[in-house]
This record gives sequence, C-alpha cells and structure tokens, in this order.
Amino acid sequence: MATTAPAPNVTMRARRGPYIVEDWDARIFRVNREVFRSPEVFGRERRLVWDREWLYLGHETELPKPGDFKQRALAGRPLMFVRDSRDRVRAYLNACPHRGTILCRETEGNSKTFQCFYHAWTFANTGELVGIPDAGAYPPERSFAETMGLREVPRVENYRGFVFVSFDPSVRPLVDHLADARDYLDLMIEHSERGLEVIPGTHLYGIRGNWKLAVENAMDGYHFSPTHITFVEYLKTTGYVTSDEGGRAHTLENGHCVIVFSGHGGRVGVQWEPRFGDPAKGRTEENVRSIAARLGEERAKRIAETSRILYIWPNLLLFDIEGLAARQLEPVAADFTDVRAWELAPAGETAEERMLRIRILGSFIGPGGLATPDDVEAYECVQRGVVATANDPRPNVDWSDISRGMERESQGEPARSVDEAGIRGFWRHWDDAVGAGAR
Amino acid sequence: MSAIKRQSAFTRQEVEDFLFEEAALLDEWRLDEWYTLFEPGATYEVPTTDRPNAVPDRSQYYVWDDYELLAARVKRLKSKHAHAENPHSRTRRLITNVRVGEPSGEGIPVRAAFLIYKIRDGNVDSFVGRYEHVLASGDGGLRFRKRRAVLDLEVLRPGGRLSFIL
Repeated sequence: MATTAPAPNVTMRARRGPYIVEDWDARIFRVNREVFRSPEVFGRERRLVWDREWLYLGHETELPKPGDFKQRALAGRPLMFVRDSRDRVRAYLNACPHRGTILCRETEGNSKTFQCFYHAWTFANTGELVGIPDAGAYPPERSFAETMGLREVPRVENYRGFVFVSFDPSVRPLVDHLADARDYLDLMIEHSERGLEVIPGTHLYGIRGNWKLAVENAMDGYHFSPTHITFVEYLKTTGYVTSDEGGRAHTLENGHCVIVFSGHGGRVGVQWEPRFGDPAKGRTEENVRSIAARLGEERAKRIAETSRILYIWPNLLLFDIEGLAARQLEPVAADFTDVRAWELAPAGETAEERMLRIRILGSFIGPGGLATPDDVEAYECVQRGVVATANDPRPNVDWSDISRGMERESQGEPARSVDEAGIRGFWRHWDDAVGAGAR
Repeated sequence: MSAIKRQSAFTRQEVEDFLFEEAALLDEWRLDEWYTLFEPGATYEVPTTDRPNAVPDRSQYYVWDDYELLAARVKRLKSKHAHAENPHSRTRRLITNVRVGEPSGEGIPVRAAFLIYKIRDGNVDSFVGRYEHVLASGDGGLRFRKRRAVLDLEVLRPGGRLSFIL
C-alpha cells in the first residue's frame, strides 16, 4: 500500500550507511554525494540493478506492424526491439551470435530477416538462423543452426502496451515488480478505452549528470516554482495561475514513487485551461463525461483532476500532466545519462485534440520546451557542484540534505509533493539495492 | 523545394544578408530585434532528430512555436530566471550553402546549412543541420513566415538542450 506518513515507530526507519543516513528522531536524511561521482557505485548499479531488474524497453505502439524494428540500448547493451512476423513483440541482443558484430545497423525499419554484413549469416525476425553461406563447413546444419539463433533478452513482458525486459532469467513477474504502481499507471492508460499510443518523434538527448539526479528532480515538487519561474510567468499571461496546494508524495513498493498534484496547468482532454482555447472546452467536458460513464465518477475525477509524475524503478518516469509522456533513463557513466522521451496519447483521439496535446506539452517539456532545459541545467549544475566537497575532512559537508517535510510527517501529517518524501523513498530503496549491504 | 532557380524576387545575396544579420542578432542575444524579423502568424520549428521530415501537428517536436509562444520564448530568454541560458551561452553561427527557391503564394523557400557552436561552462557543443525557411517580403525587407531548423545530429548529445535559438 502507498504510505503517506512514516510508520508509527519512526525509529525503525533509522539507517546509517556510507551513502544514506536517516534519523527520524533528529529529522535527518542525508545522501552522500559520492553516489553521483563514483565509477565504482556506477558499476554496482549496473550489476545489482540494471542487470537484475525489469527495465522499460518501449511501447508496443512504436512497432505498429509485423516486421517493425528499432534499435535501442539498455544497461549499455545494444538491443533490437522487434515485432516479429507472427506479431509477437521481442527483444534481441543486437550482436551477431557468430562473432558479435552489430547485426542490425538501421536505426529503425521493417524487415522479415536480419543479415549480418560481415559473414552474411541471416536470421528470421522470429529468431531462427535461416542462412549460413557454405553451411557444409559446419556440423549438420540443423543442429548447429539451432544453437546459433538470435540471442533474446532473457525476459520480456508487456503491461498494457508498456514493454519491459530483464537480463535476469529469474526475475519475478513484471506485475509483481510494478505492484502498487500499477494503479497510477492504469490511471494514465485509462484516459482512453483503447489505451495509449506513442506519438512519432522521440526526444533523444544526453545530460551531463548522474541518472539519479533526474529521478530526484522528477519527484521534487519543491523545485517547480523557483526553477520554472519563467514558465509560471508565461502561464500567468495566458490566464492561468499555478498552485502547489494539496500536492502529495507517495512512496510505493519496490522503489517506485509518485507525486500527485494539481494546479501546474490544465490537462489536455480532461481538464481545461484558457490556453487550450474555447473550442477545447466543450470537447473536454464531453470526454470527462464519457470517462465517468466508462469507469465511474470517482475514477474519472482522479484521472481528470490530478496530475501525476510516476517513477517506475529504475529507468522509467511517466508524466501524466498537461499531456502524457514517458521518459527513459539510460545511465552511460556516473556523470552522464542518455534520455529518451516519448509523448503518449489516448488512441483514437481527434486530430484537433492531438494537435493541441502536442503543442501544449511541447511548450513545457523536452530539450526545446520552456521548462525542461532549466531542469537539465539543475542536473548539470548539481553534477558540477558535488565535486566541490569530495574528500572534505569536515563532517556532514559532503552530504546532500533531503530532510524537507520530516518535521511535518513526524506529526502525522501527509507527505506533500513540495517536500522531499518521494525522494527519500527512492533513496531508501536505492540504498537497499546498491548500498553497502547489497549483494 | 523542387527546382531551384537563380531567378527570384530576391537575389541570393539579399537572402544571405538577411540570414547573416539574423545570425548576428542571435549571437549578440538581441532577441527583441530578432523577433521583429517574424511576420505575425509565423512559426519556429525544430523537428526531432529521428523524424526530421515530420509534420508538426502529428509528431512530437523539439520546438513548435506559433507567433505567440515565440514571443513567450523571447521573453523567457531575456529573463534572468531562464536558468538554462543565464548566464547566456556564447554562440557562433556559421551559415552557408544558401539556396533560394522559386517564390510561390506560400512565400520564398530558402535552404541553408548551419553549424552553431554553443560554448558554456567549459563545454563546446556543436549543432549542425539545415534551415528550411519560408520567407516573405515585408515592409522593411524580408521576414520569416516559417523558420525551420532541422538537425543532422542523431541525438542531442552531449549538449542536451535547445535552450538557445537554433
């Protein structure tokens, strides 16, 4: 279940590791800045998290037709994300089983087969090795070929269109991993009875910062007003005044967390704001009525009236805000992260709604938006700043403070989105998974 | 832009002068003056690197500003609270390979190659691509009707922000 306040016995939550210090009696929560700098920590994350957990690969609607494929790297491994000729979504290592050559060199496309250019071995998109030049040089072709098919990523599972993979064959089922984050994911998917689809056009960008800074930033409602002041001012000129009133942070199971808020902007399709223009007003009301007829008033109210930023441990951020977006984090080094971001939309919405959605979300989010570049500035400035205190002999100097809200929460008040409870939830899970005690 | 002819209402040199003056305004961060180079109703577009030929109303874009949002972008960039560009990056725009197409009712199609260096915080990031502008003749000379910058980069990397004007 979602926890909105600390457990009754808060001292149970104390921890004092090399990376995380938590002490509810003293209202202390600190993160050692080595976690952002250290190549050794980065290596532990690769081994203990990225090679073990479910990782978001992509959305099935990125591959609408049998034979569609895209290249995509996860955990530093080049992959092929494929819808095979039998309409099954698959993930293969993008390396020829023969000698390890990158097999698929097109970024994306449609093909029944993949042929390695080096020695012309040919593989069906269903994985079988179907052609070897001069096959008679090997033991009888069938038995040899059976061992040399495309190497699949050990586990692939699809949750309502969201495709995840794991490099660990013994990972628990995806639904058990998603656990109570499913409800928030469902709220996003239920914008349409036909589910979601990815809008073409991917934001691909690199940030000079540790991946965990991007998670902290997304779970941090505290930064919105100061960091995005120019966006807040822009909204004001369009007739919308932002508010942080009533926002909440929830720590979920398995490292997931979510902030739930309203008042940062309207929500295309479900909550009108002046910027959307008068014609969108009636459309929006009608759409909310149809969601209520489908799912009931209470669920429709949650879908329509609150925005949510959901973090799915370890590599996925889902934005259910002015529009819908998925952001995938691919750590490259301790101080560099590749980001891939897709805009999602209710399948089958009208052309006017689609155009408005693209315009509105694009004004805020992404490397060219009026807000995301300031977040990127924040990650990069933290990354540049945390070297200042490395090896500082004074106690507590090389530590970042994440205690905001502990005082209120100790009095039994709910965790606010403008405090740091969501970030603390993330760090606790990180510490269990990667910290000194983790194996 | 199919047939590119030398004949046009404006010579290549006039179009180059316009683009070079524009580049100087941007490199000097004279954004109010830059905004006057757009006619009302004009757009500024930057498609994503994986869909360089995409139509904006059906694809996610890096930038898809109408005339009003472009004004908001200019206002933001002039603010000391536009943290991503405060302090401003140094930029240097090299614009070349200018080709002027046949004018039509939609305007004068112009293509050019750009290489923009963006320098800040010890990093020199380069952004290379092509312009696919549509210009129009206004009172004070040429104006943008559509200003479209298409990146040749596969990924915005290592400089992951288009906080400046491309």
